[in-house]
Amino acid sequence: MSTTASTTPRFREHGAEAFIERNGLFVFCVVLTVGAALFAPGFRSPNNLQNVLTNAAPLGVVVLGQCLVILVRGFDLSVASVMATAAVIATSFDETTNWSVIPILTVSLLMAVIVGSVNGYLVTQREVSPFLATLAMMIVLQGLRFAWTKGAASGRVPEMIRMLGSQAIYGIPINLLLLLVLSVIVGVMLRRTAFGRKIYMVGGNPRAAELVGVNVNRVTFGCYVLSSILAALGGLVLVGYVGSVDNWVGRGYELNSIIATVMGGVSLGGGRGTVLGALVGAFVLTEIFNITLLLGFPVQFQWVVKGVVILLAVAVYLAAYRSR
Amino acid sequence: MTNNAESTLPRLLALQRRLARWVGPAVVIEVGVIVLLFVIGFAVSENFRTPDNAVNIFEQTTGLAFVALGQTVVILSGGIDLSLDANIALTSSLLSGVVNGRADLAAPMIAAVLAIGLTIGLVNGALILLLRVHPLIVTLAVAAVVQGITLLYTLMPIGGMPDGFDVLAFGRVFGIPIGATFAVLCFAVVAFVLAYTRPGRQIFAFGGEPAAARLVGVPVRRVVLFVYALSGLLASLTGIYLVSRLGVGNPTGDTNYNLASITPVVLGGTPLTGGRGGVLGTLLGVSLVQTLNNVLNFLDISTFYQWMIQGLIVIAAVSIFIDKRRRAA
Repeated sequence: MSTTASTTPRFREHGAEAFIERNGLFVFCVVLTVGAALFAPGFRSPNNLQNVLTNAAPLGVVVLGQCLVILVRGFDLSVASVMATAAVIATSFDETTNWSVIPILTVSLLMAVIVGSVNGYLVTQREVSPFLATLAMMIVLQGLRFAWTKGAASGRVPEMIRMLGSQAIYGIPINLLLLLVLSVIVGVMLRRTAFGRKIYMVGGNPRAAELVGVNVNRVTFGCYVLSSILAALGGLVLVGYVGSVDNWVGRGYELNSIIATVMGGVSLGGGRGTVLGALVGAFVLTEIFNITLLLGFPVQFQWVVKGVVILLAVAVYLAAYRSR
Repeated sequence: MTNNAESTLPRLLALQRRLARWVGPAVVIEVGVIVLLFVIGFAVSENFRTPDNAVNIFEQTTGLAFVALGQTVVILSGGIDLSLDANIALTSSLLSGVVNGRADLAAPMIAAVLAIGLTIGLVNGALILLLRVHPLIVTLAVAAVVQGITLLYTLMPIGGMPDGFDVLAFGRVFGIPIGATFAVLCFAVVAFVLAYTRPGRQIFAFGGEPAAARLVGVPVRRVVLFVYALSGLLASLTGIYLVSRLGVGNPTGDTNYNLASITPVVLGGTPLTGGRGGVLGTLLGVSLVQTLNNVLNFLDISTFYQWMIQGLIVIAAVSIFIDKRRRAA
């Protein structure tokens, strides 16, 4: 699905260009936050800030996985379907006891591993484009979920999941702490482990990676499995926040997670970008939604803002990218 | 007996190969699957056997046919258009909302929404050229803006069309559905343009090898603008068809044509990488999907399983026969 053959992949994380790309978003994030604090009444209130962070956390968890897949030149459209399926699984056990968290986690992760493996198999072994493979998986999973819930998902989640998704310790949302732990794990994996370095190599130049002995297919496969696992965790965090379940929990997260990741400076061409950037992207996107509401615009206006922000973000990055 | 069977199979395979050389293997397989679906339908249901049902299947392909045609041309050029649902949401709700039952406004508004659909496509093409970003991102961003504008205009289906407007969707001349026939005519025109005219060949050239096409002087800008404009225009035709069929526009954008339009293209043997394939496969793909849904309905299989089956068919199509073709090429 390449449109411009001229974009040569680069393996560069410490160069000036990458610095501009990453810090551009940080600066934007700070300006946005300060601007909102000054001009949007109510943004500063501790309640609202906590709200933004709580909202950003589930998206952040999904973005971690999306980031891995995009780093190896793919993307994962099945994340929202995985989230909703995990949410449905979370309500399928006895909600009165916290012990059901164990089967919920087991079954959700198992489901995620299966979905991720099928995605990875189709992309690596059958050479299906990531777009189609994950799209078809999304539809299949959707059918399974609707058939299982007979079209009307209902039920409640155990108290523990509810608490993890919506409570706060000393004003810090618990789900944000969960996101931080997961981010550190993924971040360290990318920077400090052989697997993480191979992800950048495969994304930067698959042919070269193969020549130096990296098993490209295995690395790519691993990224799809991890993306599904993180999406399932994101679904559990989200359903803990929302409290109730329907068949569309996480709707829109597939595109929002791609947008946040790309805004965060992770190149769709693969091999470039960081977890931190992607997370800031997720935060900025959530903040923008929050600000449009605080400024008194109708909810529908979020759509327009979202579209314009994506276009601006890619335009700015490409300007930085070309003028190096 | 055995001797006969042994010689029949190779002969069939040889026939398949000879046909495939003409129209591509995907098209042959599609025809085979459609025939198989009809055989299953004939076997399981009395009602399936009526000629009226066959015409119904044909009639119901109309909405999907327009968007799938546009999507095919975009994909042939190496791109993808994910702004179809937003386009349909805006054009359909504007049409029924503004006309609001007044017969004198119907014709000008149809012209207006066709122009709007075309404009959305042109904006897609222009931004792709300007930003040089993957069409997936650009068309999604444009879709978000268009969807937002639609929802700012109305959150609920509003207005309505004058009496007799449903003739576009349900009208028949000598028992042949008007809308569906028009859709097939559109396919024929596009097929002719793709096969026999310079712009058509340029779309294939650009989709197959963009860098080479640029070097040999293919007007890249014109090609990109043309394919997205055509896709936008065809999406607004689906919008008009839906208003005619349902009586009112749907502003929510959950018509699911973005993804549904890709299925027939892929089934028809046009790979997402562009440059190869054609609209005949897509037309058969649309018929295949519609026949499948029809048969599954008669089998009393719920919509939920229909989604699953469609997803599995897409996986099968892309991972089995198209894949082999790529390796051979």
